[in-house]
Amino acid sequence: MLTLSGSSSLLPRLNNRRSALSFALNKRNLVMRALTRDIIDISLDVAADSRKHSFPILVNGCTGKMGQAVVEAAVSAGLELVPVSFSSVDKPARTLEIGDIEIRVHGPSEREEVLSSVTEKYPDVVVVDYTVPNAVNANAELYCKFKVPFVMGTTGGDRQLLYKTVQDSNVYSVISPQMGKQVVAFLAAMEIMAEQFPGAFAGYKLEVMESHQATKLDTSGTAKAVIACFQKLGAIFDMNEIKMIRDPEEQINMVGVPKEHLAGHAYHVYNLTSPDDTVFFEFQHNVCGRSIYAEGSIDAAIFLHKKVQSKAEKKIYDMIDVLREGNMRFLGRNTLSSFLGILYFHMPSLSTDS
Amino acid sequence: MLSSLQQHAIAASRHYQVYTRPEKPCLYRKRRPGIVVRAVATENLEKSSKIVTSSTASFPILVNGCTGNMGRSVAESIISAGLTLVPVSFSGREKPGGKIKVGNVDVTIHGSEEKETVLSSVINQFTELIVVDYTVPDAVNANAEIYCKLGVPFVMGTTGGDREMLYETVKSSDVYAVISPQMGKPVVAFLAAMDIMAEQFPGAFSNYHLEVMESHQASKLDTSGTAKAVVSSFRKLGVSYDVRRIRKYRDPMKQLQMIGVPEEHLGSHAFHFYCLTSPDDSVSFEFQHNVCGHKMYAEGTVDAAIFLHKKVQDKADQKLYDMIDVLREGNMR
Repeated sequence: MLTLSGSSSLLPRLNNRRSALSFALNKRNLVMRALTRDIIDISLDVAADSRKHSFPILVNGCTGKMGQAVVEAAVSAGLELVPVSFSSVDKPARTLEIGDIEIRVHGPSEREEVLSSVTEKYPDVVVVDYTVPNAVNANAELYCKFKVPFVMGTTGGDRQLLYKTVQDSNVYSVISPQMGKQVVAFLAAMEIMAEQFPGAFAGYKLEVMESHQATKLDTSGTAKAVIACFQKLGAIFDMNEIKMIRDPEEQINMVGVPKEHLAGHAYHVYNLTSPDDTVFFEFQHNVCGRSIYAEGSIDAAIFLHKKVQSKAEKKIYDMIDVLREGNMRFLGRNTLSSFLGILYFHMPSLSTDS
Repeated sequence: MLSSLQQHAIAASRHYQVYTRPEKPCLYRKRRPGIVVRAVATENLEKSSKIVTSSTASFPILVNGCTGNMGRSVAESIISAGLTLVPVSFSGREKPGGKIKVGNVDVTIHGSEEKETVLSSVINQFTELIVVDYTVPDAVNANAEIYCKLGVPFVMGTTGGDREMLYETVKSSDVYAVISPQMGKPVVAFLAAMDIMAEQFPGAFSNYHLEVMESHQASKLDTSGTAKAVVSSFRKLGVSYDVRRIRKYRDPMKQLQMIGVPEEHLGSHAFHFYCLTSPDDSVSFEFQHNVCGHKMYAEGTVDAAIFLHKKVQDKADQKLYDMIDVLREGNMR
């Protein structure tokens, strides 16, 4: 006999889903309900397990927007957030509240002392760095000095020096200017296609449009990388032809960017048309806000922790390595809704229009 | 003593040679080997022999099924590509001795019972012949057996039939062949890229939500195989999705108004749309590939024929190929 166990917060959501399902299903109602309960049991068990695999994580740059997003993502992922962070300014006894957590922020003069005691108290801590380009190299030196593994999310700084610092100190790290895992996957797929099948789109006309917040003055680097792939595939295009949309009016009306994300979004669309106009391909990747980068950073941290624990030989990694490792996370509430999606196939067919 | 059929085939070929000339200067115009060798006299022998081979790459193609939509389209593409279209074809339905005109070529249609004899004399007449097959599922295996018996390299564009038996027939006879149910090169490239991404980065899109829509001519009863193939890649990428959720559009009114299929292509099109959304709705990926008419498949088929011809000339070890092999070779034209 199956009983519904678990936290009450899950029940209200499930009730809505279940009532919708049972309306549509007929005799298979009872079977579906039992199946749903089974799934809840399993996923809650695994969720409990995931907390056992948790490890401490310190976010450097909690005062910044990316830092805050990473803190929230870390907590949702069930990781142990070290309630300490750093800032570029020395201020007395400063704390920051993110969610229910109070984080103590320390100025530059206390950095070494604080990091040293953190590594003592949390020996398997992983640092995630989202600071500013000017601080990249100094921070890397600090982490390397205390041999603490870190995920470098901050772009800019002297990249060659960054890699040299890390290589010389033999510290584990994930370094990637693009933390949006799925965008990296898409870009990698286009690169693979271009390398394996050169000329597959020979003679095709390419059109590219990208939209970012008005403050981004330069053209999207991601767009340029994708275009290079299409050029290898034989498409005809001049880099000057990229349409950059920066006017908020156009972004709302033409591109369809939600108002709340005008200040932080990355929309890209690429169109390929055959010379005789009979074949049309379109690829789009649209990102609102910071969630994808925060989630990607957490995946990178989990990956790095795993490598440290297994004493892997390789020390410096990028997002492609993280991607190759596969799914980093355990079952959670989002997967529950995916499971329920599987149940749809029992419903009367909605798949044909006529 | 030549049979009347053989005499007919030879007469037709001579007639054709008078008419057909490549319209534009291209790699495949027949050049006398001597000129090329002289031009590369300073290169090493190995390189010059390769160049000689690729320069004589204009070759004859026979399209089995010229009377069908795909067959006719391929025949037209062959002529545009500056290759030689053999003015002979077969049909299971047309009256023997009938003729159809493709471009400026008069193609004589023979009944299926004459296939073996006519094909045999065509092979004698046209060295380096490649056959392209766009017939019907029921004829796939019988045709493959004839090609294998006569030892003629072929491109199998026809879908259906007993695929296992088809591959067995070809493998046991050691004949060169390109077999692919999907001849649209860019579509195959896209599918392969999705598959490679799924192999390399399993679970990258875990918990993402997927929506798939496809539209084809109303006569296509089954769900798009291409869409199903893409879905299986997405599943490896961690997306939960059942192929039964693919939305099929077959109503011409909806295709015209909602999907935007051009009216002249309602009878032959393949539109696909995939949308991946992150669990918190902040990220979306969209892929579309829309094909009108037959041209893309015809062009892909010609590329496959050019590829196969090259492999035959090079006496390649591998005999059986698919569209991925053709793609890997790069731009054929």
